[in-house]
Amino acid sequence: MNTKRAPFNFFKWIQSGKVNRRLCMVTFILAPLLLLLVFTYIPFVKMFQFSFYDMKYIGERKFVGLKNYSEVFTRKDCFQALKLSGYYIAASFLQLGIALWFASVLSFRVKGGSLYKGFLFFPYLVCGIAVGFIFKFFYTRGFVLDTVLQWIGFDPQSLPYWLKDKKINNISITATSVWRYMGQNMVLFIGAIMSVDSTLYEAAAIDGATGWNKFRYVIFPCIKTIIVLNMILSITGSLSVFEPPYVITGGEFGTGTYFVIMNKLAHESQKVGLASAMAIVLFLLIMLATLLQKAGEWYFLGVGDQEPIRTIRRQKKRERQYNGQQKAKQEEKEGGV
Amino acid sequence: MKVRYGKRLLAVVLAGTLTASLAACNKKVESGAEKADTAVAFDQIKLGEHTDLKANLKFLTHKTDIVDTTFQEYISEFQKMYPNISIEYEGITNYANDITTRLTTGDWGDICMIPVTVDKNELKNYFITFGNLDELSKEYTMLFNYSYDNKVYGLPSMGNTQGIVYNKRIFEEAGVKETPKTPDEFLDALSKIKDNTDAIPLYTNFAAGWTMTAWDAYIDACATGQADFAHEGRVKGKNPFADRGDQTGPYAVYNLLYEAVSRGLTEEDPTTTDWEGSKARLNRGEIACMALGSWSIAQMKDAAEHGEDVAYMPFPITVNGKQYTVVSPDYNYGINCNSSADNQLAAMLYVKWLIDKSGFEVSQGGVPIKVNAQLPDFLKAFDGVGLLYDLPTPAGEETLGNDVNNESELGVNVSGALAKAVVEAAINGQPEMKELAAEWDEKWTAAQEKYGITH
Repeated sequence: MNTKRAPFNFFKWIQSGKVNRRLCMVTFILAPLLLLLVFTYIPFVKMFQFSFYDMKYIGERKFVGLKNYSEVFTRKDCFQALKLSGYYIAASFLQLGIALWFASVLSFRVKGGSLYKGFLFFPYLVCGIAVGFIFKFFYTRGFVLDTVLQWIGFDPQSLPYWLKDKKINNISITATSVWRYMGQNMVLFIGAIMSVDSTLYEAAAIDGATGWNKFRYVIFPCIKTIIVLNMILSITGSLSVFEPPYVITGGEFGTGTYFVIMNKLAHESQKVGLASAMAIVLFLLIMLATLLQKAGEWYFLGVGDQEPIRTIRRQKKRERQYNGQQKAKQEEKEGGV
Repeated sequence: MKVRYGKRLLAVVLAGTLTASLAACNKKVESGAEKADTAVAFDQIKLGEHTDLKANLKFLTHKTDIVDTTFQEYISEFQKMYPNISIEYEGITNYANDITTRLTTGDWGDICMIPVTVDKNELKNYFITFGNLDELSKEYTMLFNYSYDNKVYGLPSMGNTQGIVYNKRIFEEAGVKETPKTPDEFLDALSKIKDNTDAIPLYTNFAAGWTMTAWDAYIDACATGQADFAHEGRVKGKNPFADRGDQTGPYAVYNLLYEAVSRGLTEEDPTTTDWEGSKARLNRGEIACMALGSWSIAQMKDAAEHGEDVAYMPFPITVNGKQYTVVSPDYNYGINCNSSADNQLAAMLYVKWLIDKSGFEVSQGGVPIKVNAQLPDFLKAFDGVGLLYDLPTPAGEETLGNDVNNESELGVNVSGALAKAVVEAAINGQPEMKELAAEWDEKWTAAQEKYGITH
């Protein structure tokens, strides 16, 4: 029984199928893991640590416990700035609507479809800072937007100052982010719509479904996961807007979002600890928002093949009612007898 | 069996990476703790010595506009004397923010322009000393900003004076014969320009942001005639932003801007101003004046074809019958204390060459930092104007100014937030200038109290 074990040969061992496969897996996974670790997790842990200190970039650090956090909640400007996210959230719904519409049109054969797709996706490829500069000139008095509006008959004198007027400047800026991200959402939607089984359309066509019916009863249920994903991405994005207000207005004239204020505190006033605490608070808020949306999805739409909780509950209620009625009828009958 | 090997391998690899990254962290800390002291003092170094020195220098600069032109000429000129020293310039667009982060790594290069974010007591952890303050101030001026404990850590690349850059022709065409000396005269002049010419009387350059810090530079010595006002009056004084009632002091400076904006004497839409374009527009007379330091004169003159119209005037505030301007250092050269001894020496030689031989100060329209150097031409127009130099901060209070400024979040001389708030308030019509000043004083006083200044 006692067979002698062959002496351990490293090269043989490393070339053997299973080890080799694992080695491949590890080496491939190592690069992204390392990047993730170095550029995301280590800085995050550091930031978490900074949030408990009264510190500048250069100089001594003093541990202050939760003081930075209490300051975030007592300062007026931090949560005031979160109100601006309302504009961006509203805009993100508009953006998803437009993207979904374009996607459902462009998923089917349209003349020059690829060209349109390309044009609509293009803004997403432009760097955010460049987008900022483009729109700064776009909104300048007497420049692009004003000229175009003048062509279609607006009186140039009656036009507002797009970035100065506090009533509309936030809308002007959110419009730039709709312009930029709509294409990306659209491409995701197109991908999802393409993956819908085409026999479903045929079946729907045989049943005489109109375009809207097709969308409502075939496409929508099939791509709801992607819609929810896009919504979560857009809303978390809305809470942490930075580039457009930072580049276009520098956060002046009431356009300073949470991130812009955070950046100002960290770089101009050197309150690194406070800014880190702000970042952690926002992180928790975003987690909360995501969880809420997940719960909403679970309740109203259902995850994967599972029926939505709301439908299941209704069914159960109906069943109970039905059973109750049956029972009552039975009792009546029995009582009658 | 093999599964276990696989797991072990993974564990080893992960542990290896972790130690590697930890080791990297440790190394950084060690090198930061080493405080390199220089072998030679700046005033004893002579150009022409050490000509066989070999070094590769990296120079971080905010002057992105001349990295590929003027600085390259300097390098080839310097290499005639020191053929084995090569210098690589790196221009950083967002200099004020980026340099702070890069400094903390210790491994950023050899020479940089010291940012304001380094407190005086921290200088020794990042830069070598150029020598003793007593010795160096016999030859150079404006050394106080980056000196600590009688040691000099930064040498100014040039000095700036503060005033208003304007287009002479437009002022004449509008019928303004003498340069205005008080805020009221200045506002009158702006109104005349608005009525009589097509030029924008005062261009704020609001959108660029950093340009608004120019207003902060007027509030100390220019507006009060006291060379020590920045420290004694503003940092330590009671309610420095309050209205003094005699058209002097910080309030008068910001109120001038407030009035100019609310009377419509500035551009229509401050959110879309264009800094690069504004230079040529001032040169051509589409803009009558801008509030900027003297460093801007050269850029305005070169921006278009009417350089001869560009002129400079002192800030329109008169204290007891006299106008003042302040001469203050621009960015300072600093040399990395973590560089090798050869590199430090080479860097020292290059800085010496830049200050003594390059002519950088004059070509950039600055005031030379050498004692008894000839003042630049534009200052001839400043006849009878008091020229105030900065003063040393009292020992033990070196970081007080930065501390109070940061704590209050007003960002004086850092962000231009005050001037921006003024423009915004003037456009909205509220709050009034008095309310703004009261709000600033409240924040300032709270910050002062935190650092033990009570009145």
